[in-house]
Amino acid sequence: MKKIIIITSVIAVLVGSFLTVSSCKVSPMVAMKSGAQIWGENCIRCHNGVSPDAFSDAEWEVTGMHMRLRANLTQEETNKVIEFLQSAN
Amino acid sequence: MKYLLIVLALIATSSIYAQDSLSTIERQALQNYKTLKPGKSKFMIRGFFFTGFDAVDVEGVTDFGFIGGGFNPVLLYKQSDKLFFEAELEGGYGANGFELGLGYANASFILNKYVTVRAGQFLLPFGTFTEKMHPAWINRSVNAPLGFGHDGIAPSSDVGLELRGAFYTGSLKLNYQIYVVNGPQIKDGSIEEGEAGMLKFGYMKDNNKDKTVGGRVGIFPFSNSMMEVGFSAMMGKVGTEGSRYKDVTANLYAVDFSLVKPLSFMKSVIDIKGQYNYSQVSSADFLDVEDTTGGFYSFDNISNGYYAQLTVRPSLIENKFFRNLELVGRYSVLQTPEGALWEQNPTQITVGLNYWLDWRTVIKFGYQTTSGLGNHDLGATITQDMFYFRWAMGF
Repeated sequence: MKKIIIITSVIAVLVGSFLTVSSCKVSPMVAMKSGAQIWGENCIRCHNGVSPDAFSDAEWEVTGMHMRLRANLTQEETNKVIEFLQSAN
Repeated sequence: MKYLLIVLALIATSSIYAQDSLSTIERQALQNYKTLKPGKSKFMIRGFFFTGFDAVDVEGVTDFGFIGGGFNPVLLYKQSDKLFFEAELEGGYGANGFELGLGYANASFILNKYVTVRAGQFLLPFGTFTEKMHPAWINRSVNAPLGFGHDGIAPSSDVGLELRGAFYTGSLKLNYQIYVVNGPQIKDGSIEEGEAGMLKFGYMKDNNKDKTVGGRVGIFPFSNSMMEVGFSAMMGKVGTEGSRYKDVTANLYAVDFSLVKPLSFMKSVIDIKGQYNYSQVSSADFLDVEDTTGGFYSFDNISNGYYAQLTVRPSLIENKFFRNLELVGRYSVLQTPEGALWEQNPTQITVGLNYWLDWRTVIKFGYQTTSGLGNHDLGATITQDMFYFRWAMGF
């Protein structure tokens, strides 16, 4: 019975959180950030700024997806950064 | 006139031939492009390498020498826009020659823009050091802070299932990780009596039916993502099913902080990082090997530790040599349980000077001093001084 309550609670929290998050709106200031700006702000949180010519377009797709997971970037941030790096390499 | 017509005919023929040749080349180029055009599945090998030299003085006895090349390839595989696989191997010379281990291996599925499901062995998001800072070219210091790694109190990796994601609400960015894993296990002292009560982390066959749950929430209070505060927790049973420790549980907590900011008046970028770890294991009795009557002993199994690190790099000055320099200082403390055979309370100070050859290759020089009591020998003094040199490369 205890486990059923815990599982039910976790599912309720997850569903509630998802509905809350889905209704969240990004501020215009954040939404208007360019890929270059996001790249400049986020990469240096862990390591030096990445040189765009370090990788090919295809490699940036893999690296971008890896960083989305590792550095907790949002989908929009990831897409913008990849697009910027592919255009600047 | 006859000759003129022949010349014109030749010119026309050669022109048609040239056009035809060009088309052929173009067709071939197009064919080659199609052959070389990458598909949706993409594979990369990345990772890091390091080597160096240490001069270590322990209690007046000095030892120095080159340290072997650590080689950690990271395999990344993007199967599609939603599926991803990553694995890190850990290579290096050990007591039995070259040894290769598995750091982690996991697959991720991007469920939607807010949720990614990950399964397998993964670095636990307990604070940020283990998951994000451990590669030698990312860690500005020479090694992990006290409390991380071998005999540490912070978990490293485990096997299980995780949900993670990030989202904005207004200008506030939040990220989260929730996981269920096999969990750490308590050492009962049967293998090493001096480690009785210590937690063992990493991938292991589960020792009980209960699973360990945990998670981390990271908050970016400012819209420029320069500052993050994170809160982590992990809890579960750590005792082996059917043993006298079957009901022993562990609760672990961590708070982490990160601030990276360019300061124009210093023409530098400063990077401040820190993490506080707290570990509480419920009470248990352990066999006292020195008691001939077979008695047991117990202790209040609480450990804690923290580190704070500051790096300053004058990246904004024009001189190329000086802008590649970086100063690093780290203060680290660990306190393990009083009364345990592994009681220790070391304090560690590290100061270093790094030089960046490029954005992912660094040469580190520095000095580290560690002092305190304990270290697997109750009441013994820990005094260690080290001068180090490291060459670390990310690839």
